[in-house]
Amino acid sequence: MLRFLGLRVSRALLTMVLVVTFAFVVLRLSGDPALLIMSADAPPEAIAAFRQAWGLNDPIWEQYLRYFSAIFRGDLGQSMRDGRPAIELVAERIPATLALTLPALAIKLGLGIPAGIYAALHRNSFADRAVMLLAVAGFTVPSFVLGLVLVLVFAVQLGWLPSGGQESWRHAVLPVLTLGIGGAAVLARFTRSAMLEVLGQPYMRTALAKGVPWARAVRRHALPNAAIPTVTIVGFMVGSLLAGAVVVESVFSWPGVGRLLVVAVANRDLAVVQCILLLVAATMVSANLVVDLLYGVLDPRLRSAPRGATA
Amino acid sequence: MARLSRRAALASAGASLVLPRFAIAQADQRLSVTVAVQKIANSNTLETLREQSNVGTRHGGSYGEALIEQDWLGDLRLQPGLASAWRRVDDGTLELELRPGVRFHDGREMTAEDVVFSFGPERMWRPDPTAARNLFGNVPGRTQGKAPPPEAAAIARRTYPGFERIEVVDARTVRFVNKVADPALEGRLSRTTGMVLSGAGFEASSSWLDWARRPVGTGPYKVAEFRPDQSLTLVAHDDHWRGRPPLRGIRFVEVPEVASRINMLLSGEADFACDIPPDQIGAFERSARHEVVGGPIMNHRITVFDKNHPQLRDARVRRAFTHAIDRKAIVDALWAGQAAVPRGEQFDFYGPMLIADWEAPRHDPAEARRLLREAGYKGEPIPYRLLNNYYTAQVPTAQILVEGWRAVGLNVVIEMKENFPQVLSNQGGGTATGRGVRDWSNSAAFNDPVSSLTSAHGPEGQQWQINEWRNEEFGRLSSVLEGSMSLDERRHAFRRMLEIIEREDPGYTVLHQTLNFTAKRRDLPWKPGASFFMDFSARNWAA
Repeated sequence: MLRFLGLRVSRALLTMVLVVTFAFVVLRLSGDPALLIMSADAPPEAIAAFRQAWGLNDPIWEQYLRYFSAIFRGDLGQSMRDGRPAIELVAERIPATLALTLPALAIKLGLGIPAGIYAALHRNSFADRAVMLLAVAGFTVPSFVLGLVLVLVFAVQLGWLPSGGQESWRHAVLPVLTLGIGGAAVLARFTRSAMLEVLGQPYMRTALAKGVPWARAVRRHALPNAAIPTVTIVGFMVGSLLAGAVVVESVFSWPGVGRLLVVAVANRDLAVVQCILLLVAATMVSANLVVDLLYGVLDPRLRSAPRGATA
Repeated sequence: MARLSRRAALASAGASLVLPRFAIAQADQRLSVTVAVQKIANSNTLETLREQSNVGTRHGGSYGEALIEQDWLGDLRLQPGLASAWRRVDDGTLELELRPGVRFHDGREMTAEDVVFSFGPERMWRPDPTAARNLFGNVPGRTQGKAPPPEAAAIARRTYPGFERIEVVDARTVRFVNKVADPALEGRLSRTTGMVLSGAGFEASSSWLDWARRPVGTGPYKVAEFRPDQSLTLVAHDDHWRGRPPLRGIRFVEVPEVASRINMLLSGEADFACDIPPDQIGAFERSARHEVVGGPIMNHRITVFDKNHPQLRDARVRRAFTHAIDRKAIVDALWAGQAAVPRGEQFDFYGPMLIADWEAPRHDPAEARRLLREAGYKGEPIPYRLLNNYYTAQVPTAQILVEGWRAVGLNVVIEMKENFPQVLSNQGGGTATGRGVRDWSNSAAFNDPVSSLTSAHGPEGQQWQINEWRNEEFGRLSSVLEGSMSLDERRHAFRRMLEIIEREDPGYTVLHQTLNFTAKRRDLPWKPGASFFMDFSARNWAA
């Protein structure tokens, strides 16, 4: 178990280092922040002074090492555009994003998993086809289209809910639904196919042949085994809690991390972009780590299986 | 004599404390409005010496006012602002009588010293290039300073090219003293860069950035909260010299998506939605509750050339660009024929300075092909930089332009950029400039060609300063246009300058006059002016 844990943690750390490195190199090579921050009207000596002060003239590897060592001191840099610590700017926006993504996650889990299980248990029935039709629709419609349709119906036509902004809980309803419906559709499809695969396994036939009641066989044998692929998807969804709403935040003018990321990238506000990417990577990697550990809990074979062996 | 019991006396005393507040609250029945805009400020500041943009113009006049104003709602004349009167002392000196009883948002009365501060070194002329490093962030071990950003002096020089000093004559009179004669001094003073701001407010701020995000002006609304990239909240400045403003507050909300802005209006979340593309106007025509208002403003959409680009060094190639543009097709296809093709970079309100017989280059593909043949152009790629609909219908306009250019053999490659600094950057072209052709617009802030032609393209203009386009004769004539007091001489110089920059050695070419459309609640008595500025003062809120 310790080896399993050690491997997973090292892999998580390596992923984060790669993300930070990739983001650093791409951002440094894709535009000069001095020109973006200082405006084209600034005299060359001012731009040179800015570059000098922020160390932008140094070789990229030197900048990278400086940035990397600062991370270990807990310093994620300062916004060149705002003058404030990047982490402070990002932290301000996190509650707004979580206010959308957490309820949306609840909808995804609460709607998607039961719908998928129900469809699998009633395979080829009218209900199965109806659930899958809705799931395919929810899965394929892009979030910005779904968002605009919801706004047209519930805000413009019916006038029940606001169309954008962040003044009250009512403003969160449509963006949460937009995020939740798409995710629930994905989960429903995955859960259904995982369940169908498990329901066809020999151990299910054996259990039923031994006289185990259908409901009990499903509960004790099908659901836990079908949980593994579903948990993978849920892990991915948990991992994208911080940055999974970029498009929806733009459509609904919701001032969360996603919109901050868009603006920071456009302005090459390096520290802010890197800070967001680091946090997103950390969330994603942590979620995956938890998922990996859950695999072990859900399937004891994974805990003891030798390296390279299939479960 | 009526007797008053102790309980009644206490009740009366209590009521006397409560009632006035209640009465005030009751009296303030004014509306607060929400305005959905695509962008609040490009630079994330409200200081007009840094925020030189169309989007910043929209709200600048609500919190800050200049000594002389432009009548954007009427006949575009200059009219008294914070100066109640003015007179020429000589060709380079203007004496202005300050309006009494003008109060800043901090309650202080405006004085001549505030005018001195507003045009003084602390705000305009003393940017410290080395201080720039700390302007937008604390480099470890240093602190943010109060020096203005380095571009402030460049912008100030461009706006007031002959400025020497502000002279205080007495408590209510100041003199704007120029080093040279300037026929357009009054107009220059009407620009938003010349808004009078509180010197004490500047002193009280902790840094330049702090100040630039909460400037203390005299406008009918004061800055209550500015959340960069999100919202700007203004509240009524009830001590305004024109009387109480008609609105309790104005909230500008940044909504980048046009569909979202329209939805906010339709659902009642917003009262105004700005930058409505012409193809959306029809959606409001049958609406009982909403309408689209607006029309031409004193701004032209132009396309700009970098004459240092290897393929554009030959003026004939640039001239080919200007002849390959079907301006009428753009206006008809994207603006329902409502936008005018301007007579070059000039406006009717230039009055005696208007060169009435001047025209934009005619659409003549054969001439364009001939010029390219003569120039020996062999189809080498030329970059064309643009933003994603920063200007209304910018991308479809670019598509029409590119097709027109391709039709005559110009190999133009669109480069989508994320912001203006990227558009203006001269990097990306190897040893040569990376800039080729780019989109721009040009506003006339007052009724003289120096407001648009020299300020954008002359020696102090951005195009010249970033070494995109320079022309020696044009530079010399800029001095004549800016400094001569002879109408004939100025008209002659202006005509020749148009010949140079629009025909002989093109620096830009005009596309069409800008139309600015705003969707709004039908019941709100607000009217659009001939500028991006949205005037919410009492003079523009009468039923």
